[in-house]
Amino acid sequence: MLPGIEKINPDLSLLTPQLIVLGLSLLLLLIDAVVPRWRGAVMAYLTLIGYAAALVATFFMFDMNESTFYGMIRADDFSAFVNVIVLVAGILSVLVSINYMTSRAEPGSMPVPEYYALISFSILGAMIVGAAGDLVIVFLGIEMSSLAVYALTGFARHRITSLEGALKYFLLGLFASAILLYGMAWTYGATGTTNLSEIAAELANYDTSGNIEASLLLAVLLLIVGLGFKVAAVPFHMWTPDAYQGAPTPVSAYMSVIPKAAGFAAMVRLLVQALEPLADEWTIIIAILAVVTMFFGNIVAIAQTDIKRMLAYSSIGHTGYMLAAVAAYGASASIDDDLSVTSLLFYLLAYAFMNIGAFAIVTWLQDRGRGVDLSDFRGLASQSPVAALMMTVFLLSLTGLPPLVGFYAKYYVILATVDAGMIWLAVAIVLASAASAFYYLRVIATMYFAEAEQPEPVGSTPWLGAGLLAMVAGTILVGIFSGRVFDLAQGWVDALTIIPG
Amino acid sequence: MDSLPILSMITYAPLVGAAILFFASRADAEMSRRIALAFATISFLLSLAMLIAFDVNEPGMQFTEHIEWLPGVGVNYDFGVDGVSALLVVLTTLLSLIGVIASGSITHRRREYYITLLLLETGMIGVFFALDLFLFYIFWELMLVPMALLIGVWGSANRVYAAVKFFIYTLAASLLMLVGIVAVYWENINQGNDPTLNILDLAAVQYSDDFQFWVFLAFFIAFAVKVPMWPFHTWLPDAHVEAPTVGSVILAGVLLKMGGYGMIRFNLSLTPDAAEDLAPYIIALSVIGIIYGALVALVQPDMKKLVAYSSVSHMGFVTLGIFAFNMQGFYGAMLVMLSHGFVTGGLFLCVGVLYDRAHTRLISAFGGVVSRMPVYAALFGVLMLASLGLPGLSGFVGEFLAIVGAFTEHRWAGAIGMAVVILSAWYMMWLFQRVVLGRAAGEPPDPLDGALQSGSVPAVAGGQGVADHGDEWPVDEHGVPQWPDVTRLELIAIVPLVLLSIMLGVWPGPFMDVMRTTLESILVPFGSQGV
Repeated sequence: MLPGIEKINPDLSLLTPQLIVLGLSLLLLLIDAVVPRWRGAVMAYLTLIGYAAALVATFFMFDMNESTFYGMIRADDFSAFVNVIVLVAGILSVLVSINYMTSRAEPGSMPVPEYYALISFSILGAMIVGAAGDLVIVFLGIEMSSLAVYALTGFARHRITSLEGALKYFLLGLFASAILLYGMAWTYGATGTTNLSEIAAELANYDTSGNIEASLLLAVLLLIVGLGFKVAAVPFHMWTPDAYQGAPTPVSAYMSVIPKAAGFAAMVRLLVQALEPLADEWTIIIAILAVVTMFFGNIVAIAQTDIKRMLAYSSIGHTGYMLAAVAAYGASASIDDDLSVTSLLFYLLAYAFMNIGAFAIVTWLQDRGRGVDLSDFRGLASQSPVAALMMTVFLLSLTGLPPLVGFYAKYYVILATVDAGMIWLAVAIVLASAASAFYYLRVIATMYFAEAEQPEPVGSTPWLGAGLLAMVAGTILVGIFSGRVFDLAQGWVDALTIIPG
Repeated sequence: MDSLPILSMITYAPLVGAAILFFASRADAEMSRRIALAFATISFLLSLAMLIAFDVNEPGMQFTEHIEWLPGVGVNYDFGVDGVSALLVVLTTLLSLIGVIASGSITHRRREYYITLLLLETGMIGVFFALDLFLFYIFWELMLVPMALLIGVWGSANRVYAAVKFFIYTLAASLLMLVGIVAVYWENINQGNDPTLNILDLAAVQYSDDFQFWVFLAFFIAFAVKVPMWPFHTWLPDAHVEAPTVGSVILAGVLLKMGGYGMIRFNLSLTPDAAEDLAPYIIALSVIGIIYGALVALVQPDMKKLVAYSSVSHMGFVTLGIFAFNMQGFYGAMLVMLSHGFVTGGLFLCVGVLYDRAHTRLISAFGGVVSRMPVYAALFGVLMLASLGLPGLSGFVGEFLAIVGAFTEHRWAGAIGMAVVILSAWYMMWLFQRVVLGRAAGEPPDPLDGALQSGSVPAVAGGQGVADHGDEWPVDEHGVPQWPDVTRLELIAIVPLVLLSIMLGVWPGPFMDVMRTTLESILVPFGSQGV
C-alpha cells in the first residue's frame, strides 16, 4: 500500500524551489540556442536571480511535513535546510565564477553558457536528494548532481590536467554509483519496498536483538561504500585530489560543497531515515570511517604545496568531521535532543562559506595571473592586505578558531559526539583539528611573514569581490548568530522520524 | 543590575579602536599610535573605575551582564568580575597601555601592529570577564592569533618558527579543554539540570570522581601550557626570544597569568575533589619547574631567554601556592602573578631598551652600562631586586606567602622552594653584574668569552621590526658607542611598573583586600583555615 495513494494529483507546490531551478536550467539552455548575444553576463545574472528566488521560496517551506508523488517527494524541514545550503553555496559559487570565466586564467576559452546550465542542473540534483522519499529519487538526485560535475571538472578543455581529473572523477564516480545502486537493490530485496519510511517501518518489525540478516548488512555496507565515494571519505577518496586540482578553480569550489552536501543528504535519508532500526550497526562503521578520514585528510594535506590539492585534502578532513556528526546519531536519551543531523547541517552551511571562500581567494589570484602554488601567496599581506586578511579569516575558520563559523560548526559536532558517548571521537576531532592547523597556518605564515617575490596582483573582479564580502560576513556572523540557524536545522527531528501515512 | 555594562565597555574599547584603525587606511604611523593610545587609555581608565567601584566585601560576581545568546545549547553572554579577576584585568589594561607607549621602536606596518595589539587586549580582558565556558573559550582562542602575529610579523630572526610553535602548542592544549567543556555540559544535563555553560551553575553540581579526574586533566593541561608548567614550557623561550619587546611584556605579564587564573576559576571550582587528589603531583611538577627554570636561567647567554626561564621558575610558585589549598598559598599565588606582571614586564622593557640601542641581546656584548645610562641602571636594579625576591619589593611578598602556604601542607616542597630563591638571586645579580656593572667603558667585552673569540659576537639579530641604526651612535676614543640614557617615553613605560612593584612590596594590603573574600569563598570546599 503506497502512502498518499489517495492523492491522485501530485501537489507541485511542494516542489516550488526545485521547479524554479529546473525552469532556470531550461531557460539557460534555451537562451544559449536562441539569443546568442545574451551569453555570458546576462546568463550569470539570470542564474543568480533564479537561485535567489528559489531561496526565498525555500523559506516558505519550513515547518512543513508533507509528501507527494506517492511519497516519493517529501517537503519537510530537512529538505528545506538542504535547499538553503545548496542554494547559498550555489550563489556563492556563481559569484566566484563570473569573472573567472572571462579571465585569462585558463588556456583557451570555456563554453560559458553550458557552464551555468550545468551548475543549475547539478544544484537541482542536490535539492532533489534532499527532498527524496524513495530510494529511486535519492539515486536520481545523486546522479543528476554528479553527472553535471563530471562535465564541469573537464571544463578547462585546453588543459590536460583538467581532462585527467574529469576522467578519473567520472570513472570512479560511475563505479560508486553502481555500488550504491546495488546496495539499494539489496535493501529493496530485504524489505520489499523502495519507500524510505516504509523501509524503516518494515525493519522495525524485525527482531533486531539477535543477528541481523546478512543481506541487510550487505546492503548497509554497499550503501556506505557508495556514499563514501560521493562525500570523499577515506578510503574512497582517490578521485578527490586530482579532480580538485584539475578542475577550474570555481568548479573546485563548487564541487567541494554541493556534491558533498548531496552525498550527506543522501546518507541521512538512507541511513537515518530508512535504516534507522539498524543504527547500532552503521553508527560504528561511520565512526571508524570518520576517524580514518579526518586523520588521513589532514595529515596528507600537510605535505601539499599546491593550494588546490591542499584544499582537496583539507576537504577530505572536513568530510571526516561531518561523518562524525552522522555517527553521533541515535545515542541521545530522547530524539528531540539529538544533535547529530543538526550539527551536520550546520557544518555543511558553515563549510559552504569558509571553503568556497578559500577557493575564491585562489580564484582571485588566478584572475590576476598568478598560479596556485604556496609560493604564489608569498608576501600577499603586504601587497593586497584585504585579500590576505580574507584568506586568513577563511583559513582560521577552517581550522576551527572562534569566533568564526567553523568553530561553532565543530563545537556542535563535538557536542553531538560527546552526547552520543563517543568521547574518543570528540578527542579525535580536536586532535585532527590541531594537525590541520599546521597547513592552514603555513599559508597564513607565507602571506604575512614571507617577502613578496612577484609583482603586485592587479585586476578588477567586482563580482568576485562581492562574493568574497558575502563569504567573509557569513564566516564571521553566521556563527555568532547561530541560534536561529540552529533551530531551523533542528527541524530534521520531526522531518525524519515521523512516518507519514 | 541595569546599569552601564562597564565590563563590556572595558573589553570592547580596544576592539573599537582596532576597527577604527582598520578602516582608517590612510592613517599614518603617528596617527595610528595616537588612536591606539586613546583606546588603550579609555580601557585602562574604565578598568580603574571598575576597581574603585568594586565592593571588596562581596565574594561573588559583580557588575554582572547577562544576555541570552544561543539558548538551544545553553550558551549565554555572561560577564562578571570578582576579587580574582579584578586585579588581573587592571594588570592587563595597564600592560596593554604601556605596550602601546613602548612600541616606539616598531618601524614597519605600524597601523597593523596597533590593530593586532588592540585585538589582543580585547581577547585578554574577555578571558578574565567571561563566566560562560563557551564565551571563555572564544576569548581564550581569540588571543592566540594576534599574539602569534605579533611574534611572527614583528619578531626577530627566527620568528616564524616561534610563532607557529606557540600557536600549535597552545591550540592543541586548548582543544582538549573544549572536549572537557562539552563533557561538563552533558554531565550537567544528565544530572537533570537545565542546559547551561555558566561556570557558577556548573560549579554547583557534584560530579563523580572518575568524571572529575578526566575533566580536571582536560582543563589543567590547557592551563599548564599557558602558565607554563614544566614540562609544558618549551614554547615559552622561543616565543619570548623572538617576540618584539612589547610582545614579550604582554606574554609574560598577562598571558602566563591566564593559566593560573584558569586553574583557580575552573579547576578548583568544577573539580575540587580531583584537584585535591592530584595536588601532590602538581606540587611536585611546580617544584621541578621552580628548580629547572632557575638552573636553566643561570646559563643563558641571551638576556631575554634568561628572563623567560626565570618566568618558568616564578610561575612555579603560582601553581605551588594554588595547590596548597590554604589562604596563604592563594594570596601567594595571586601576588606572585601580579608581581611577575609588573617585574617581568619591566625587565623585558629594560632588555628592549638595550636592544634598541645595541641590536643584540647577548649578555656578553654589554658591560658597564651604568656609566653611560645611570637612570636606566637604577630602574633595572630595582626590577632585578624585585625579581629575586628582596624583602620590601613585590617579588618577596608573593613568593614568601606561596612558600608558607606550601610549607604547611607539603613541608618538603616549601623547603625546596625556599632554597631555590638563592638561585634566582644568583642569576639575576649575575645578569646585572655582567650587563650593567662589570667592566668599565672602553674595556673590550669579556676577553674570556669563547663565542667572542670565535668572532660570532655580537651577532646582530636582524629583526624586521627593528630598524638597523648601524653606526648612528657617536663613539668615544675606545670605540664604545655613547648610548643615550632612557628616553622620556621609555621612562613613562618603565617607571609605573617600578613604582607598583615597590608599592606591592611595602604595602600589599590594598591588593589583598580586593581578593580576600573571593579567595575565602573559593577555599570553602577545601575546608581550610584563613590567615
